[in-house]
Amino acid sequence: MQVGEESALEGLYARYGGLIFTLALRIVGDPELAREVLQDTFLRCWGGREAYDPARGRVPGWLMGIARNRAIDLLRSRPHQARLREQEPLAGLTSEPVQRDATDFVTLRRAVASALQGLPIAQRQAIELAYYGGHTQVEIARELGEPLGTIKSRTREAMERLRAVLWPLIEPKRGG
Amino acid sequence: MHPTDNLAGYALGALEGPEGIRVETHVATCTTCASVLAQYRAVVSTLPMGLDPVAPPPEAWAAIRAEARRRRLRVGQGAGSWARPNWRRAMWPVSTTLVASLLIWNVVLQRELTRRAPGPAPGPEVEALSRRPGRLVILAGTGHPGASARLFVAVDGGGHLAISGLTPLPRGRTYQLWFIRTGASAVTGGTFGVDTRGLAWAKAGVPASLDEVRAIAVTEEPAPGSVSPTGQHLLEATTWR
Repeated sequence: MQVGEESALEGLYARYGGLIFTLALRIVGDPELAREVLQDTFLRCWGGREAYDPARGRVPGWLMGIARNRAIDLLRSRPHQARLREQEPLAGLTSEPVQRDATDFVTLRRAVASALQGLPIAQRQAIELAYYGGHTQVEIARELGEPLGTIKSRTREAMERLRAVLWPLIEPKRGG
Repeated sequence: MHPTDNLAGYALGALEGPEGIRVETHVATCTTCASVLAQYRAVVSTLPMGLDPVAPPPEAWAAIRAEARRRRLRVGQGAGSWARPNWRRAMWPVSTTLVASLLIWNVVLQRELTRRAPGPAPGPEVEALSRRPGRLVILAGTGHPGASARLFVAVDGGGHLAISGLTPLPRGRTYQLWFIRTGASAVTGGTFGVDTRGLAWAKAGVPASLDEVRAIAVTEEPAPGSVSPTGQHLLEATTWR
């Protein structure tokens, strides 16, 4: 995205803003911080600070990567406050549908939710602690009191299950 | 050996520094693992869709747009006539040519570095890296006068380091490359030793983006390397393009 292309920024926001906010909120547990992540993510893309490299994946993955990194950085820079916030209910926020282009997105969303639900709890936990908690596998092993090798195997098995279900839905759309 | 058990953790950003670097180094030359990793990454990018969607506050977009406009104005003022659309269009061919020339120059320079640099001959992987377009970072001997290093960063990831002037280390000690980030822990780019002439070629793991990196440094650490830098910055770069 070139600096100054406001319509492109608006298009990206309309398409992915809700998803990025949802992700950020899940990680930082605080609507204000999530909004900070949301804003920072789009301004980084728009300002050219984060160059999109098609070889490293599609646009949504690129955006989610930026948002997740910013959210995890924020979480690590304010661990105590964030942990406290994580335990509080998200007052004033309700789950509500976010406008998106309908069919493909809904199909994929259902598939993702279903695939995650279908994972054994221990595998899902390994994925969630890593992705949303920003923990390394060493930290996860320590936290769960499990051998590191077990965590690695769980993560790989979970990822293989997810890939088997989701990749066929993602693959034909690569490039967008 | 394929890092099968670590690809998923890497895609999730859950590996410790050295493990992550080993994966990065491996996928740079292994198409099988690179393909699996690409699929894992695509899967990871869909994970947020499994969450119950929450709409951002209605005023969020207005705030982003206002800040974007403010920054555009600042860029326009700072760049003077660059802000004029016609002038920018006219400059496209010039800037494209300039970028292409720089890339070609960089590739030629790296081939020269590979061919002429004294010291141990770089291996085939390092030679392959040096043939890819990228950028060059010069590290000065801030803590070890007379030493210097050139870090070549390929645009598609990976890099190599050419070092001269460091002192050979005793057993149990190693040199370690670091990417020092703002507001986050330092990431290691790998460890290396130098030969009796103080020279070395080493493959280096490089973070996907240097935006958050405020300094690139080499320190002396206990072997096989530290989790975070403990020694003085012997070589350092704080600016690069």
